[in-house]
Amino acid sequence: MYILGISCYYHDASAALIKDGKVVAAAQEERFTRVKHDTSFPINAINFCLQSQNIKIEDVALVGFYEKPLLKFERILYQHIEMFPFGIKVFLATLPAWFNTKLRVIKAIRKKLGYKKNVLFIEHHLAHAASSFLISPFKKAAVVTCDGVGEWTTTSLGIGEGNNITLLKEIRFPNSLGLLYSTITAYLGFSVNNSEYKVMGLSAYGEMDPKKNKYYQRLKKIVDLNEDGSFSFDMSYFTYHYSNRMPSKKLCQLLDGPIKKADQPLTQRHNDIAAAVQLLTEEILTKILNYAQKVSQSDDLVMAGGVALNSVYNGKILRKTTFKNLWIQPDPGDGGTSIGVAVYIYYTLMGNKRQGYFKDPYLGPAYSNLEIRTFLKKNKIKYKEFRNQKDLVNQTAELIHKNSVVGWFQLGMEWGPRALGARSILSNPCHPKMQEILNEKVKHRETFRPFAPVICREDAKDFFEIDNPMPEITDFMLMVYPIKKKWHKKIPAVTHIDGTGRLQTIQKNQNLLYYNLIERFGNLSGIPILINTSFNIRGEPIVCTPFDAYKCMMGTGIDYLVMGNFLIKRLDNSNHIWDSEKYAKD
Amino acid sequence: MKDFLQGIKLGMVEFGNNLNGILVSLILLFVYILGVGSTALIAKLIGKHFLDLNSKKKKSYWVDLNLSKKELREYLNQF
Repeated sequence: MYILGISCYYHDASAALIKDGKVVAAAQEERFTRVKHDTSFPINAINFCLQSQNIKIEDVALVGFYEKPLLKFERILYQHIEMFPFGIKVFLATLPAWFNTKLRVIKAIRKKLGYKKNVLFIEHHLAHAASSFLISPFKKAAVVTCDGVGEWTTTSLGIGEGNNITLLKEIRFPNSLGLLYSTITAYLGFSVNNSEYKVMGLSAYGEMDPKKNKYYQRLKKIVDLNEDGSFSFDMSYFTYHYSNRMPSKKLCQLLDGPIKKADQPLTQRHNDIAAAVQLLTEEILTKILNYAQKVSQSDDLVMAGGVALNSVYNGKILRKTTFKNLWIQPDPGDGGTSIGVAVYIYYTLMGNKRQGYFKDPYLGPAYSNLEIRTFLKKNKIKYKEFRNQKDLVNQTAELIHKNSVVGWFQLGMEWGPRALGARSILSNPCHPKMQEILNEKVKHRETFRPFAPVICREDAKDFFEIDNPMPEITDFMLMVYPIKKKWHKKIPAVTHIDGTGRLQTIQKNQNLLYYNLIERFGNLSGIPILINTSFNIRGEPIVCTPFDAYKCMMGTGIDYLVMGNFLIKRLDNSNHIWDSEKYAKD
Repeated sequence: MKDFLQGIKLGMVEFGNNLNGILVSLILLFVYILGVGSTALIAKLIGKHFLDLNSKKKKSYWVDLNLSKKELREYLNQF
């Protein structure tokens, strides 16, 4: 039995297909349309899901949607009534989209897919909760979801047991931890619903001692935080409930200056503000999680919602709270809810027995060597074919060891926002200038941003101060851990300013070629770690097809592309070189 | 000639889109002032609030939700 889950019309539209309870295909729409965080109806992602299983829409038993649109619309109307007449600009700008698309979900599904059966709608935070718990290894767990806002809920906690999830408590809009983080993101001149992770990276440059960070103390005064983790904001410091400009003038005064413009340089004040919101987020989450543990009486925790992408905090959860085990799926944000709604229908509503748990994130489009060769020949691209996989691993490891930057295109595209060794840019973490090279020549992004290390799972404890037992979700690059001090100078390109790294661990049975490559690089360099960064330029989604990968390499400072069984050298194809820098944007 | 006619066609489409935008904005403005505005006025007069903007100090801000599995037909609703 096939069930299709759909998430769209807010941000990160996606589709997921499950077959007898197992996720067999899933992808975000942005990867196909090349529009980052694309919100549109995920027709390309749906078509991919169906084609990957060689089925038609008639073969799908049920389609599920990730939220209740009318409940969300009710909240939007209530906001406008409460804030009249301040929301007029947003009202005129957003209401047409509600009437044209967002309230016509069933019509869109029928028209665009030709689907004639029932469409089921489940609450947004329930879709989040299901997206993590029902594919987790736990039979019973505390469930905490936290994001900007769903219909009304911004944070919820509950219990997952067997096939069922009960969300017991909620914090309601406008009090929202996700929107607090987004407000500071906007204040620091970054784009909302996109660059929150930059604030997280920037926080390490700020004062992380709460007693010494004056902005933390000021921000804390606008939040009434209880011991049970529940919170209420002084809304005079925010405008997100009626305007697109999130911080109010009062917040700007509190933070000693106006909203930073994108082209203005970052100062220590900005770093401290980033640290302040990170500290406050961590404090609130710790209280919420401890309360969730008390309510659920479970040692196991699953999290979902955009806030669960805060990998800096994720790495501290097992140390700071009373939980012993943690699970988060690779895409805990809105994109991930398409899986959530599909598994909720199959397991909870239909009562089917849960089986296994989510291990394989390579759920997107994959390309055979034949398809890649056809692409290369058709476009007259000069390439070399590896004799076998051993040859591929040896030669690629040598290129990386000689400080070449390598685009790595293998298997199916990763599910979620992180590149996990299917659409990755790989390079040498031991080179002292590699962070600079990658930031400036390849990714065209801010110099403060760190790069992630990838390491074979067995070796992680030698290099990182990691939880014991090691959570499985380090495989999905969701946790930041301190790097052991003796390695800081040896792997400077992946050691952040505060001595941490957002590591990805890799297991042999997940991605053998990638695993062997890291191992081989370890033999050459003495350090079995690679830099793994997403295969894209700033402002673009991660590459999906061979064309995207080749175009990205030719527009950046990537030296080689290892695509399937083929090696393509940038300088061998100099007639295709272009400059991507001027197109790089947030 | 063909290009000329194509140009006129594109121009008319653009004109139609602009006109549509203006009309939609005017209708929405009308709805905003009459519908939203009058409801807001009545709500203010009777002290009704739709958002919890000035919540008083509470021991806990958690709200009971108790959201769990419902009858299948409930999921056919968008509310």
